[in-house]
Amino acid sequence: MSTPILWILVPFMAAGVSLFFLQYRNLLRWNGLGFGLVLVTSALVLPINETFKFLFWEVELSDQLLIFGRRFILSGADQPVVILLFSLWLFWLVIMDPKLVPPQFIPLSLSGICLILTAYSVEPIFYGALFFAFLALIYVVLLSPPGKEPTPGVLRFLIFQILGMLFILFAAWLASWIDLNSGNQVMLARSLLILALGFSFILSIFPFISWISMVGERNHPFLSGFVFNTYFLGVFLFGTRFILEGGWIGQGVNIQEPLQIAGVIMLGFGGFMAISSNHLGRLLGAVIIAEIGRSLLAISLFQAGIPIYFGMVILQSVSLGVWSLSLTQLQQGINGLDYLSATGAARLWPVTTSGLLLGYFALAGLPLLGGFPIYWTLGSGLSFYPLWINSVFVLSTLGLVFGGLRLLGVLTKKIGEESILILGEPFYRYLILGLNILLVLIGILPQWIFRLTRTISGLMLGS
Amino acid sequence: MPDLFQSFLVVFLFVCGSGILIVPSRRLMTGLLALQYIGVFLLVSVSWPLEIAVVKLVAGWMASAVLFLTYQNLPGVNIEGRMDTLLPGTYFKGFTALLLGLSVYSLVPTALRWFLGATQQQVLGGLWLLGLGLLQLLLTRDSLRIIIGLLTVISGFEILYATLEASVLMTGLLAILNIGFAFLGSYLLIASNLEESP
Repeated sequence: MSTPILWILVPFMAAGVSLFFLQYRNLLRWNGLGFGLVLVTSALVLPINETFKFLFWEVELSDQLLIFGRRFILSGADQPVVILLFSLWLFWLVIMDPKLVPPQFIPLSLSGICLILTAYSVEPIFYGALFFAFLALIYVVLLSPPGKEPTPGVLRFLIFQILGMLFILFAAWLASWIDLNSGNQVMLARSLLILALGFSFILSIFPFISWISMVGERNHPFLSGFVFNTYFLGVFLFGTRFILEGGWIGQGVNIQEPLQIAGVIMLGFGGFMAISSNHLGRLLGAVIIAEIGRSLLAISLFQAGIPIYFGMVILQSVSLGVWSLSLTQLQQGINGLDYLSATGAARLWPVTTSGLLLGYFALAGLPLLGGFPIYWTLGSGLSFYPLWINSVFVLSTLGLVFGGLRLLGVLTKKIGEESILILGEPFYRYLILGLNILLVLIGILPQWIFRLTRTISGLMLGS
Repeated sequence: MPDLFQSFLVVFLFVCGSGILIVPSRRLMTGLLALQYIGVFLLVSVSWPLEIAVVKLVAGWMASAVLFLTYQNLPGVNIEGRMDTLLPGTYFKGFTALLLGLSVYSLVPTALRWFLGATQQQVLGGLWLLGLGLLQLLLTRDSLRIIIGLLTVISGFEILYATLEASVLMTGLLAILNIGFAFLGSYLLIASNLEESP
């Protein structure tokens, strides 16, 4: 037995089998919850490359699997990533309302997580780009549930991911050529340019960002939330490993400045979009674009930024989760997700809309909510860098907060109607309240999160 | 493989790629895609052993067959459209394909410096398919055409990449990706006709 079999092949096969049981929604969900718990626990407790007793057998869990001469490695240093990914899946499964979310979500999301792990574990790492193409195929199916036409945003997402894959594969080949001809600056510049283009496509860096707001606007809010959450996390994990293992830093290349420029552009664009947005889905798109920018800025700080990045991942997951859950519930009571349809919703459904507001404001960075201490730390780290980076950082955060205030104004506007419709089951309203409290707790006690993220980054970078 | 035959293959690929872009009929489009894979296979076989290169042909034909069978069995789809309304678009697409063909042809000497192990025909064929596929992606919003555009882009890439790397795993994964695209295309075609989920 090896870790790639246990954490990639077995869940992948389980996802395949569960496709045959889509009509049993509750059974599927409860089985998924149990299976997710087993996966997280196994990643937490099982020793790797050591013999241990399992029931009647002596088992040794090897950390690699060899397929056609290529290795898939999930060692002890990768355990935090495995735990994080399966915990995320478990979290989305807990907050999923089986009556409002297509049942395909469970198997397809699990196979998506497996593909992210595959892309992260494969060696040589550039093969991971191919697995991201497979991930894009799965996520396109996930975002196009039966009975609905595929939206233009989803098709654009597919195109960008495939083009990104091709550029990364080509850049990796060029890079291997540089090894043989070290010092060839022209080849290095070419490969870096192609690599940057490839990552711009798969990470949706400006100008390839249009699909984000299109998907946010037209697709199921819960599914979009999950895809945004896991897809970008997967790309960042893959990208970090690609840069570290591909020897790009060893070539004496300054990648900090491009990362910061891209981060600032994305953050600025997200902040600007939030101000002018008139649609809840587009507002989600704006905050996601800003989050990609912040993640790039965090990673540009290298060792100091990795714990901040993982803190942002945890915050993003909780905030996106509560936003998506609230929006899915709210969709039952309103005609559309534009501001006009959502006017006065907070007066009719205060608990549901509180999830929207707190989820958004936490991501925007409003004081006392979860995002504030994390972005404060990021801002402090960036204070050693040029003023224009810091100015855009502050202005964009203000833009995001302003977008949230507009949303607050829309949701609380008096429309002179009284609600007789109760949205969703009580469990989901309590869940929204619970997640809201969690967001406030992260804001008040950020040391909990930072202790956790320092452990994660310590384990990862220790490798 | 003689140069003349390779040159013939490149022209054949350009005709197929342009045809896919221009023809309104889905049946013809898939037929041309299947033909295109013969050219891809033969150009890849310049760099690879025949028994590995044939994987491209088998995967490509499987992808074409999956797409063909799906839309053939779709109920009530109006594919053809009136010729007089389609003509201006057809001319436009044909003209852009021609322009693209000429510009790519002029870029081949530069591109040859990037693909050191490749023949001139392989580079030209690969770049033509890449360009025509991208053009297809730019000019359409139809999911089937987008999938076929992506298959064309990947075919072009496969010709070029075959001159750089001959890994069995990569070949297998790209073949699975091609077939995966076809299945995705067929799912997207039928998704709106399936029973709605919440």
